Amino acid sequence: MRRALLAITGLAASTTALVVFKAAPGTGHLAQAVPAPAPTATEKAEPTPGKGATKPKASSSPKPTRSASGASRSGSSAAPKTPAAQPSPSTVVGPVVRNEFGDVQVRITVVGDEIVNAAALRLPRGTAQSDQRSDQVDSRYSGTVGMVVERQSADLDTVSGATATSDAYRRSVQAAIDQAR
Amino acid sequence: MTTYPRPYADPRSTGPGPTASASPPAVPRRGAGGRRLLIVLFLGGLVASVLPWWRDTPAGSLTGATAMTTAAGQITGLVAGYLLLVQMLMMSRLPVLERWAGGERIARWHRDVAATLLVAVLAHTALILVGYAGLEGRSLLGQAGVMFREYQDMAAAFAAAGLLVLVGLASVRAVRRVLPYELWHATHLAAYAVLLLGFAHQFSNGSQLFRPGPARTGWIALYVLVVAAWLWGRVIVPLRFNLRHRLRVGDVVPESPDAVSLYLTGVGLDRLELLGGQFFRWRFLTRGCWWQSHPFSVSAAANDRWLRLTVRVVGRHTQDLRNLDPGVRVWAVGPSGTCTAAHRTRERALLIAAGSGITPLRAMLEELPPGAALIYRARTPADLLLREELDWLTRNRGLRVWYVVGSRDDPGPRQVTTPDGLRRLVPDVARRDVYLCGPPGLVEQYRRVLRQAGVRRRQIHLATFEL
Repeated sequence: MRRALLAITGLAASTTALVVFKAAPGTGHLAQAVPAPAPTATEKAEPTPGKGATKPKASSSPKPTRSASGASRSGSSAAPKTPAAQPSPSTVVGPVVRNEFGDVQVRITVVGDEIVNAAALRLPRGTAQSDQRSDQVDSRYSGTVGMVVERQSADLDTVSGATATSDAYRRSVQAAIDQAR
Repeated sequence: MTTYPRPYADPRSTGPGPTASASPPAVPRRGAGGRRLLIVLFLGGLVASVLPWWRDTPAGSLTGATAMTTAAGQITGLVAGYLLLVQMLMMSRLPVLERWAGGERIARWHRDVAATLLVAVLAHTALILVGYAGLEGRSLLGQAGVMFREYQDMAAAFAAAGLLVLVGLASVRAVRRVLPYELWHATHLAAYAVLLLGFAHQFSNGSQLFRPGPARTGWIALYVLVVAAWLWGRVIVPLRFNLRHRLRVGDVVPESPDAVSLYLTGVGLDRLELLGGQFFRWRFLTRGCWWQSHPFSVSAAANDRWLRLTVRVVGRHTQDLRNLDPGVRVWAVGPSGTCTAAHRTRERALLIAAGSGITPLRAMLEELPPGAALIYRARTPADLLLREELDWLTRNRGLRVWYVVGSRDDPGPRQVTTPDGLRRLVPDVARRDVYLCGPPGLVEQYRRVLRQAGVRRRQIHLATFEL
């Protein structure tokens, strides 16, 4: 029984130590060293206070890289397709749409009239459920082969179980498209 | 009394006769290396189970109480998931575990880990609830309701936590003592339901595990490993053992008014790798008995003709054993236990037995080097079991025996439970291995006395089997 008490104390102490260690600021630049285009990085680096605070960089760091590489790929692939006729790609950032789970913000990349990429800059994070919903929504809608690019509009199917986040995503994309045209 | 061969008269039919003055060679030693390896593996696994969280959480990202609470909830969740698997593994009866750590020690570890697991699960539940409620701006109860209704697999997970608390409560010593064994056992089987019910939510909601990746793969592999170990230790090994040896009850011999010896016969008993002091979990395949499995020590050293267990009649099950008919099939799982002559650290030994605790020590006596000493406590002379055999060992194997009869408060027993009293009987007690077997309270008392008399912890071996 004495050993059990020791183990329980150890569990409490080490859990606290781990959390406190990760809460200590200062070594954060390690996560920001992820090679990502400046605008994405700065917009990602300021998470909504409280939201996504658990693991914002780890969970979202693949996304800026992915969308950024997607954007650059689409940019470069767009270039040889229409050598000089097409204008260079421009990005439009949609408004932050707030819902009960958190904020959603989408950026689209437009070449001429065509949407070539969509990336979520903000999605609700924090709880297992919101992480998961956000991942589902992101993987369905975003990217160079996502539903936004496929449909060229904000007319997106709702991801089941993530109605509110889908809805917020649609509104942010719609606003971005309106702005671009 | 009976014509059945008495062990002291003919311990090994093919071996040297009992009158041979040279004692049989003591069994070779088994070290503590395997046990240390197990502990290192356990701690390594514990670190590895928290590693996914560590890698997913950038330094400095936990700002605010809510995020920190959620993070602590994730850590305790990972630890709880790991400990649950360790608990299962410890109950797998995997031969390598039985050999390296021993059934009694594993039972004690199981108990200690159980307390930690219970606390970890409760902390995980509470911290995640508080953390998520903070993140989503709900009341605690509201959040619990949302998780119960809307989160995938969470209803099952809540049920698992509830069951685990129930299992834990039923195993608290004070509660356990008043529960009938069968009820406690049935409750404890619910732990398997905990494993099943708690499985899914780790992968559908675990922040570190819901994405495909090495953490998720490793976690699933751990489950596969534990289930495989369980099947191996609980199904395949016992099946092989029992098909090979086909044990049956040979004879039931009364030893005292409330103790019986069961002689078991079987096939190929000479190939049995059994050490004196070890026990099997026995299942007697008759009506009313087959569904219960109980650990009893073997009460005589291995020989090629029979196995013997000596049992004190204390409950309904042991009452049934007294009335077993010869020929009844026996299903045995084992042998296990590390309270044996092979686990000694010194050349000489002191054995302290109380009541029916003599049985494993009696079997061990034949395998110890000469010069062993035995203190045998009992309440009345009638409670001294196997006395003829002990006297025979005294005459032929240089064993010294003190029978200490009387209640705990009589002067004799009181004297041998003091460091000075022990030293007077056995002056070199501090340089001996000491094997203890008896009721838990007495064993605990002796352990303290022995420590005071200068016996090191690793020289003290406990044969108490208590879950």
